[in-house]
Amino acid sequence: MRRHWGETAMGFVVLALAAVFLLWSLAVARAGRTGGGYQVSAKFGDVGGLQPGAKVSLAGVKVGSVSSVRVDPKTFLAVVQLSLDGDVHVPSDSTAKVTSDGLLGGAHVALTPGGAEDDLKPGGEISNTQGSVDLFGLIGQFIRPHGGNTPAAVSSASGADSSSPASSSAGAAASGY
Amino acid sequence: MSAVSGIEVPKLEWRSVAKRFARAPVLDGLDLAVAPGRSLVLIGGSGQGKSVTLKIALGLMQPDAGQVLLDGVNVTALSENERRPLFSRIGMLFQGAALFDSLTIWENVAFRLVHSDGIPRREARERAIAAMHLVRLSPDVAQLYPGEMSGGMQKRVGLARAIVGQPDILFFDEPTTGLDPITAAAIDELIVDKVRSLGCTAVSITHDLASARTIADEVAMLYQGRIVWRGPVRELDTTENPYVRQFVGGSSQGPIDANV
Amino acid sequence: MAAAVGRVAHFAGRGLHAAVTPRWFPQQILRQLGAIGFLSLPVVGMTAWFTGAALALNIYSSGDRFNAEQVMAQIVALGITRELGPVLAALMLAGRVAAAIASEIGAMRATEQIDAMVTLSTDPFRYLIAPRLIAAIIALPLLTLVADIIGVAGGWQVAIHMLGTSPQIYIANTADFLTAWDVESGLIKAAVFGFIVGLMGCYHGMTAVGGARGVGRATTQAVVSSAILILAADYLLTSLFTRL
Repeated sequence: MRRHWGETAMGFVVLALAAVFLLWSLAVARAGRTGGGYQVSAKFGDVGGLQPGAKVSLAGVKVGSVSSVRVDPKTFLAVVQLSLDGDVHVPSDSTAKVTSDGLLGGAHVALTPGGAEDDLKPGGEISNTQGSVDLFGLIGQFIRPHGGNTPAAVSSASGADSSSPASSSAGAAASGY
Repeated sequence: MSAVSGIEVPKLEWRSVAKRFARAPVLDGLDLAVAPGRSLVLIGGSGQGKSVTLKIALGLMQPDAGQVLLDGVNVTALSENERRPLFSRIGMLFQGAALFDSLTIWENVAFRLVHSDGIPRREARERAIAAMHLVRLSPDVAQLYPGEMSGGMQKRVGLARAIVGQPDILFFDEPTTGLDPITAAAIDELIVDKVRSLGCTAVSITHDLASARTIADEVAMLYQGRIVWRGPVRELDTTENPYVRQFVGGSSQGPIDANV
Repeated sequence: MAAAVGRVAHFAGRGLHAAVTPRWFPQQILRQLGAIGFLSLPVVGMTAWFTGAALALNIYSSGDRFNAEQVMAQIVALGITRELGPVLAALMLAGRVAAAIASEIGAMRATEQIDAMVTLSTDPFRYLIAPRLIAAIIALPLLTLVADIIGVAGGWQVAIHMLGTSPQIYIANTADFLTAWDVESGLIKAAVFGFIVGLMGCYHGMTAVGGARGVGRATTQAVVSSAILILAADYLLTSLFTRL
């Protein structure tokens, strides 16, 4: 190796640069997650393409990420594990909604705080959930009103525990056409 | 050694060895034996199969037919693993010395000791320097690399490397080819000296008749895959054998077809 | 063609046998690790940096501004660790290392050094070939790791300067999307590629015939065959991994 001293020196430089970047990145990544993160779960009728790693936001601010998305074979609901930052606490009756940033944005989970006095515990479950809205299905209602979708079918297509007013009025408008 | 050679087991023997390459048979029923402690020189035209004969004896090449016997033991079909221990009794000087370019001179000479015999480097170095001394190389060159030496010196290193393990048999592939007459004579001297003092059996290949006359006890001539003459070295100039006469005389007339 | 495959397979078998059974030559292995691994760092580092940066630039220019911060970090991280890191590092090594091995061993063949080694009771498969195979299989995953880091850094640079992303956000997004398996699958690929590079260098070197020209030919063949086998293996491994 002494005969290739130039390359040896460069090799050390490369290793050093890589090491520095790696260490800095790990520090940043760790700082981004304040200690004591905890897991909660939520069940949805339709997660509409929600991926692990997608963000969990509260009032538009990222407070965690989606750890896993699975299907419960008995209830046929999507079970989503959310990993929340340690310093974030939400009331136990908060709502979790699958939404997206604009038409083409990726799916993520938005939390809306409830009014309960006690907070959601680690390992707890968010019971108020709203699955993703089938945007294209809705648009389809306006474009092809006789597409064979009844208002009842439309609301169940959105798979929500709480049906949103938008879908039923769209259905009503469609059938009234 | 002389009259009883029929009863004595030859050190090395080729029996009916045949080998062909794609185009033509190179060896065609080669029968040759070398008695222990004797020095045999194999002569013949270029491309006649002298190197092949040597390589088959060493096991670097497999014959298509026939056997090679070492001390009366058939070693032809041995696997590489089985053959490896045999090599501790053999030393070979290759045509270009075949030194390892990335190792120093002493590391070359001591190669067998360090990597095969597991001898510690310090002791191996000392033995290497001693072997170098036998071939009249000063310890100063021990740290050099083969690329820094002349052809003649490289051959000397190759010889040192071949003898460092105290072999029974030494092989020489064109030991003086490419060397000036003085250096060639020096190499010849060394070969004779070492073979005598170590009591080795020696088998050499050469075109160089002056060298052959110096180092040989016996000479054998190879032509078209067979031995066409075998005799003591002094008969090289007196024999009536037409092949030998044509080869020694360097003439293009005669039984040897010069248009190979 | 089938005969050639058979010869290579036989050679590979002998090489692997020499690599996994005693006796070994540790000094040779270490020397090869240095030559193959350490000295390839500059080449691999530069390749990774430019690739990561180019990848990020492509994403930037493709106009996906909605999630650009997330998407760029994600695509660069996944692209580099799963594909580009291992494959490009391996191709660089094919050019550098397979050629060097083939020409060195080929030259040794041509000057009868291999035969000499055999007459010195030393198995060339254990002394020459196994150390190179072992070193390549170990070195390439390590080099790929370095390539992964530097590739992400290259993309990071672009993200900061083109998108105006905050440095920390990019890293955080990368860390969120990257899973251990992404990196691990890349390293498994790298080990396979390392074996290919070492094998092709040794095989073509050992079978070189015909003097200087033969050595030259062996060198070229080593590089080309390495590259082709790397890409083929990449396809096979990727299809295997994406099914898991």
